[in-house]
Amino acid sequence: MLSDSGDRHCASCRRVSRRRFLEFGAPLLGLGMADLLRLQTGAAESSRISPSKSLIVFWTHGGMSQQDTYDMKPDAPPEYRGPYQPIATSTPGVFISERFPQQARVMHHLNVVRSVYHGNGIHAPSAHWMQTGYFGPTLARNAPQKPSFGSVISRALGAQSPEMPPYVTIPKSEAFGYQGAVYLGKTYNPFEVGSDPNADDFRVPNLTLPDGLSLDNVQDRRDLLKTFDTLRRDIDASGGLSGLSDFKAQALEMVTGDRVRNAFDLSTEDPQLRDRYGRHLYGQGALLARRLVEAGTTCVTVNTGYWDHHDDLHPNLEEHLPPLDTAIATLIEDLEVRGMLNNVLIYCAGEFGRTPLINGHAGRDHWPNCFSVLLAGGGLKGGQLIGESEPRGGDVLSRPTTPHDLLATIYHTLGIPLNLHYPDSTGRPVSIVDAGKPITELL
Amino acid sequence: MVQSIAECSTTSWPKCPLRIVTTWCCVALSAMSLSVSLTADDGQTTSQPSLDDSSVYFGRDVVPVLTKLGCNSGGCHGKATGQNGFKLSLLGYGVPEDYESIAIEARGRRLFPADPPRSLLLQKATGEIPHGGGQRVQVGSDDYQVLLDWIVSGSPAPQRDDPTVERVTVSPQQRVLETSDSEQLLVTAHFSDGTSREVTRQAIYESNEPDVADVDQLGLLKTNHRGGLVAVMVRYGDKFDVFHGTVPFGSESSASPPALADLEKELGNHPIDRHLLAAWKRLGIEPSPPADEATFLRRVTLDVCGRLPRPKELQAYLDDSEPDKRARLIDRLLEEPGYASYFALKWADILQNRGQGYSTSKQRPGTALFSAWIRDAIAANVPYDRFAAEILTATGSQEINPPTIWYRTVRTEQEYVESVSQAFLGVRLQCAQCHHHPSEQLSQDDYYGLAAVFARVGRKGGFADAEVPTNEVIFLKPHGETIQPRTGEVMNPRPLGGPDFPVNRYTDPRRAFVDWMTSPENPYFARTMANRMWAHFFGRGIIHPIDDARSTNPPSNPELLDALTQEFVASGYDVKHLIRICANSYAYSLRSIPTESNVDDVQCFARFYPRRLKAEVLLDAVSDALGVPTKFPGIGGEFPTDTRAIDLPDEAVASHFLDVFGRPARTSACECERADAPALGQALELVSSHLIQEKLASPSGFVAELSSNGKTHEENVHAAFVRFFARPPKPDELAVAIEFVESQPELVTAYQSLLWSLLATNEFMFTH
Repeated sequence: MLSDSGDRHCASCRRVSRRRFLEFGAPLLGLGMADLLRLQTGAAESSRISPSKSLIVFWTHGGMSQQDTYDMKPDAPPEYRGPYQPIATSTPGVFISERFPQQARVMHHLNVVRSVYHGNGIHAPSAHWMQTGYFGPTLARNAPQKPSFGSVISRALGAQSPEMPPYVTIPKSEAFGYQGAVYLGKTYNPFEVGSDPNADDFRVPNLTLPDGLSLDNVQDRRDLLKTFDTLRRDIDASGGLSGLSDFKAQALEMVTGDRVRNAFDLSTEDPQLRDRYGRHLYGQGALLARRLVEAGTTCVTVNTGYWDHHDDLHPNLEEHLPPLDTAIATLIEDLEVRGMLNNVLIYCAGEFGRTPLINGHAGRDHWPNCFSVLLAGGGLKGGQLIGESEPRGGDVLSRPTTPHDLLATIYHTLGIPLNLHYPDSTGRPVSIVDAGKPITELL
Repeated sequence: MVQSIAECSTTSWPKCPLRIVTTWCCVALSAMSLSVSLTADDGQTTSQPSLDDSSVYFGRDVVPVLTKLGCNSGGCHGKATGQNGFKLSLLGYGVPEDYESIAIEARGRRLFPADPPRSLLLQKATGEIPHGGGQRVQVGSDDYQVLLDWIVSGSPAPQRDDPTVERVTVSPQQRVLETSDSEQLLVTAHFSDGTSREVTRQAIYESNEPDVADVDQLGLLKTNHRGGLVAVMVRYGDKFDVFHGTVPFGSESSASPPALADLEKELGNHPIDRHLLAAWKRLGIEPSPPADEATFLRRVTLDVCGRLPRPKELQAYLDDSEPDKRARLIDRLLEEPGYASYFALKWADILQNRGQGYSTSKQRPGTALFSAWIRDAIAANVPYDRFAAEILTATGSQEINPPTIWYRTVRTEQEYVESVSQAFLGVRLQCAQCHHHPSEQLSQDDYYGLAAVFARVGRKGGFADAEVPTNEVIFLKPHGETIQPRTGEVMNPRPLGGPDFPVNRYTDPRRAFVDWMTSPENPYFARTMANRMWAHFFGRGIIHPIDDARSTNPPSNPELLDALTQEFVASGYDVKHLIRICANSYAYSLRSIPTESNVDDVQCFARFYPRRLKAEVLLDAVSDALGVPTKFPGIGGEFPTDTRAIDLPDEAVASHFLDVFGRPARTSACECERADAPALGQALELVSSHLIQEKLASPSGFVAELSSNGKTHEENVHAAFVRFFARPPKPDELAVAIEFVESQPELVTAYQSLLWSLLATNEFMFTH
């Protein structure tokens, strides 16, 4: 792709070394030539191989209560078990919260890992850990230190379709900034949708022209730019210049072309299906995620509001659980109907779980010693329960599972080798996940 | 080329396979026991004693094999967490620990003395037993044999008096190579017992410029199709050596000799430029011709003051016919406030003067204070040694003495070491926190010795706010210890490489450190600044990256860097003097358009390397070009109108434009944190942002002026080109622009589209 853009420096190389790619750090050029594929072939002019699987994440920022959702403890004393009763699911012997009736219907597609732990009870470090695979920031010094899994996926796989951004966050990235690329380079930051897909006048700010600017104007600008943007690309051997040119072309195509705008246009969906997903951020976010993945985005993260329910757990969950339930269940069914379920991995997690014992404010506090996450689709088995928590849910009873194991499972499922390294800002090669193993029971 | 060569004789190793690698060199590849004598083209003969001691030592022989096979790499068993319960020290720096892991841990199950080939260690490595890392070695290979011999001989533990690797030498040391050529490197390890051995096959190789020449793991170096300089690191055990290769660009004749001969007359005696010329001659590379005056004016105004040249300045500069106009221009720019602002921005990044990153904004007044202090120091041209000293030895209240603000961001052992070493010494010590630096003679003792310099920094008072106090008082404590974690020893403050500073409880070790650092003989301090400033003007350091000086990452032009460094020291660390040297150099005047011979040059400054304007400079350029200042939100209101982005006191002033174009978060002393990588978000910011459209639509901006000034379109297009690009439009550009404007029903929209399309060009967004 470097050679495609007229970069004589690289065109004249027989091959471009791996180190060169890693050092360059910005070679996406928007055209689906992701690192991994180049690394595998070791050639700049390799044929384009599209990543075959995508990922949709429901990030429950703040920490969702495992006892009230995927890991019910009906036999625990009342101060532990919480307000809900378990219900049976489509998988015999598996019970989940009565507020998840729709997921119960598709439980045979879902897997729950009930034995996740990492031991840190503070939001920032935990969120960093769960989303990057590394411990690091503290509450006070919370700058991100490692790239998020979405950015790693973006860099390793790129988008499946050249016009689409490879990594999108809905409605925007989580507040800590741990969904970004850090030293991988800004190229691999998520494209933030920037507005609520459930809003009546939902529009993507970045794809929406400011007042006073029409599509025709942009078309004129685009034509003029072609005339004036003639600085030779070969004067910059680093590729930054041709990279920016390619991104300008991509941005103009996104704004003026149909494909990307259509992918973001929920109004073309059948209203009945939109209703089934649910008229809320969760539902419309999930629907938008499906449309983006269909159009060629590789990783979409739906950030689902704040789950930090220290007080009044019950009314808060009443607000959050039904929409999450509808969104996930409908997404599963929709993907299945479309024959996409095996190609789209679904992951629902937050930074930690919540205390087994309900506190004095009728809430639950932070609990990192044992909590649950959901994994489905992507060719994984379904209906599996991985690991167990002890009877009151406070500790892992069997098959302890770390954030590393979860990331390893995600990367493995998407076809990203676990020994992939990227250099940090000092040039030290840093593993995308430095420990952990895929959860083989799901594969 | 080496003409004559090596005699190889196998003395006690019957199976020693000899391989003729090229016509001139023969290398004994297994080489457990042989003697080699080499005659290089300088006529010197090196004889190496044969290795009589056939015993296999764990540290000397076994660990290097594990390193070569990749067993102890960071992706495998060398990880901090090990791999599948088997952990080795990263790259083999912990010999006793590795012995423990292999021979003792897991009840010794990894070795099987009764039947050595069935040892788990071997069977895993050969893949006979399923191994996550796959097959690493073949049964019967030399590497296999080393491991086997060690087990057969009873897997002796490493002893204190075992021979160790004292040094490693590569032969040849340097060579001029042609493109598409190859060179077999020969590596010898010299041991503490006086013996030496050829370890070509067990050594590890890494080229710093694989595009110029890549090296395989048998030490065969192959040049590619382009010229350049290459350094190959050769490592065996924990020692390394460096091969320096020069690959001229094409044949001698391709760099037209008359051109270089003419330059010789002009530059041959110039204290700086002659070193550039020498490199071009050495590499057979012809520099691009000098850029035109307008291009130079734009370039230097952007690089010194971070702004576009004004049309009037351009005219005055073009009209000036004095021979020293360039030097006078640079002098004038250095006296502008913009110079201090722009370089203060650079230093605020390096010194991590951060307003954000904590839970509140209560730190931000301090950030502004420190920013202003830095800007004042730069405006006053405070000598660089004093500038650094005032920061590093700062004491007192953060409300009164602004450089103490540096201690607000830099608080931990790790932050002291890494910030100081990257910012002022130009080296990356991070690796040495946990292990020997794999490609430099820097150890954990260096790391913790430097940490000990700051061990007595005390803090008191301050308003405690979410773990991070503001307005502390920095003082020197009477005590303070740094422990080297591997040895458990208390480290005394010491410079890199030692010895300990002679300090007592009444003296400030920071002062001793600063005295060491700023002494004229210090190999790091002045050189790092000289390289940093060169990189500012050339887009690339002579050492690249600028904070990664290592013997394995040598300068592309050592004589040039030495000359700059000496000039800088001799001037009394006068930063403006250093900048004058860089900006007045011949290389800085060159065009960016490559010639046939220098199109592949990325190291020798044979042409100007373009780069995108930094985020703040680009935003200011957009504001200036469109004639509408940008408004920045402050605390409790906006910054005054006409505040420039390069003058913003901290990185936390909200601006999506600055963020997408790479403004750093100031979390590292590495200038690399300021990313100039292209990104989709940048392009979208151009295409659909409100910021630019508002400026285009402003009733007081340049568009409004053009669409209402009653001038001809030709005059207006001309004015726009001069304003944006510091050049008049070319005839075809003029024709397209006029035709477009005339075709549009509305003049305002027409000029909006026109100016946007100029703004979005690479020509606008890059210095070139």
